[in-house]
Amino acid sequence: MKAAGIRAFLCCALLVMHGTAQGAPPIAEADSITIPGIEKQPFELGGYVEFRQEDSILNRGAPSYELNYPAPSGPDRLDRSTGTLQLKGKYSHGIVSFNFLTNSYVAQDQTSYQRDNKFFEAYLSLKPDPDFTLEAGKKTLDWGKGYAWNPVGFVQRPKDPNDPTLAREGYTFVAADFIRSFNGPLQTVAFTPVLLPVNADVNSDFGKPGYLNVAGKLYLLYRDTDIDLVYLSGGSKTARFGLDFSRNVGSNMEVHGEWAYLSNMQQQVVNTAGQVNLQQENVESYLFGLRYLTEEQTTYIAEYYHNGSGFSGSEATNFYRLVDNAVARYQATGDTSLLQNAQALSQSAYGGPTPMRNYLYFRASRQDAFGVVYFTPAVTLMADIEDKSFSLTPELLYTGINNIELRARLYLLYGDHFSDFGSKQNSAKFEVYARYYF
Amino acid sequence: MSRRSCRTFITAVLCLLLGAAAPAWAIDGTEILRQVDHNLEPQSYEQYRKLTNIEPDGSRKEYLLYMVKKGRDRIVALFLSPASDKGRATLRLGENMWLYIPNVGRPIRITSLQSVVGGVFNNADILRVDYSAEYNVASVKEQPDAYILSLKAKSNEVAYDRLRMTVSKKTLLPRTVEAYAASGLLIKTLHYSGVKDFGGGIVRPSILETDSPLYKGYKSVMVDVQVRKRAFPDEVFTLNYLSRVQDLRR
Repeated sequence: MKAAGIRAFLCCALLVMHGTAQGAPPIAEADSITIPGIEKQPFELGGYVEFRQEDSILNRGAPSYELNYPAPSGPDRLDRSTGTLQLKGKYSHGIVSFNFLTNSYVAQDQTSYQRDNKFFEAYLSLKPDPDFTLEAGKKTLDWGKGYAWNPVGFVQRPKDPNDPTLAREGYTFVAADFIRSFNGPLQTVAFTPVLLPVNADVNSDFGKPGYLNVAGKLYLLYRDTDIDLVYLSGGSKTARFGLDFSRNVGSNMEVHGEWAYLSNMQQQVVNTAGQVNLQQENVESYLFGLRYLTEEQTTYIAEYYHNGSGFSGSEATNFYRLVDNAVARYQATGDTSLLQNAQALSQSAYGGPTPMRNYLYFRASRQDAFGVVYFTPAVTLMADIEDKSFSLTPELLYTGINNIELRARLYLLYGDHFSDFGSKQNSAKFEVYARYYF
Repeated sequence: MSRRSCRTFITAVLCLLLGAAAPAWAIDGTEILRQVDHNLEPQSYEQYRKLTNIEPDGSRKEYLLYMVKKGRDRIVALFLSPASDKGRATLRLGENMWLYIPNVGRPIRITSLQSVVGGVFNNADILRVDYSAEYNVASVKEQPDAYILSLKAKSNEVAYDRLRMTVSKKTLLPRTVEAYAASGLLIKTLHYSGVKDFGGGIVRPSILETDSPLYKGYKSVMVDVQVRKRAFPDEVFTLNYLSRVQDLRR
């Protein structure tokens, strides 16, 4: 036997022995295995614990950095450790169920220690029939078809486009859901009316207090296309309406879009003199996107987002100049008045994750890459089309160990001093986390 | 032999060959496929399914699903385990497919060639609708104990362009199904086995095993248990109901 043949034989023998060592029952016997977990329990509890470590290289001199560290001797790096516990539970009795989702975390870096416990969701659900549901309490609604952004998400907190699948805190409301199915081109009609109160104690961060807001979504499945018509009456926020759609084009491609009309949107805008003006105008926001899967199991997601209430390049530059001036004045004289104004502005739309007008999102991920099942490398690009700044995020995800998710991500931000991504606090961030589901 | 005589001779030979093939064409492939669907899937039912992905080193990852199906092309699957996937639900209405992830909070459209579990099975395999809903019979061949059906996809939205199905003559149940891409590439082979009496007149394979030249050494297996006939309203198979599928379990 030649050397190569002997090697091949030994490899095969080792593989066979290894396979035997796993003690895997033959498939033919699988039929007789008793499968646990089939019995329905009245109370179910699950969730995850996560440990996350982030190491950020700070962008000294960038406007966002200066706002957080106005003193001349700020840190160059930030190492942050975060432990998170999410609990999800449900108690069912007949047609009634109580559902909750809690989120608790502790986080520490060189400059601060934070912790928080919140109910993201806690609501009662009444389901007398499959075509009718009534829900009351705190719950996360997620309207819209976009992956990274949702212009028609009128009654939800915005997503973090860097991690769009993260659970978010809901709002407190009463909602119903009516469903009807049909034969023919129109296959489904569903209507979801929502009553959302806002006062000092309930939904206080939604908008102006003292209103009972009315929102609604009409869903149609028409000729294999999902269509939503959504609206929010005026009250705590200005009146707005919109629509979205999604449909498959072939066995490996999906296309989607959203359009929203927001009336009388008010925005604080910094002018060239560094003064803050309150602008009010009707705006349109929209998004188009697609998801495409290749034969090699690579998924591409691409989205274009126009944020009608976003800032123009000059409006953003005016704000960044204001920050530079405020920090310079503080460092020279100790006067914090202008700095406080700038910090207050950064808490509004200026400080959002994507505050500008036109964005492009692109993500490529390869499932079961390099022949390794459950291994998914990906790269995400998010770019401000106007000022050409962008973030690039390569990542590795492994889910091959039962109930454990391991992810590593590197955020790289590029752009000029006064650009969207160049003005952020970090110039790079490395992040790893391990999550255990139970 | 003149050119004209040659053409006449060839025509005659072709006629003879076609005549000889006539008995095979007399077999109604469409009716066989309809019987296969009828024997595989009751009209409206619920079931539990264990899906196991087996890696080349023998290690396994298992999923437990609760599934309901109605008619030829309406099917819902809810993940009961592992904990990392618990609460996920997928819906298929014809060629429309959606995935609901509890954290995301809304269903997103998925395509049939994607795989929500990784491994060899894709969404179209797990949420399989009737074969006759997606494929036409292109040809049928007869063997001593089996029919060989060549199936062609009715549209480009179907996961596989062509199928080659071996059907037992005795039971009119499939034994193997080879799935090909439009390029002719063999994507995977499905092996049915473990014919079982589930009660209520449901007698069908309980095990579906698959392998693929694209996943050398990997194997995925689905085992069905507790298949029971049960009627469901159409509203169960809608996007808005997807987050509440677990309420169907008794």
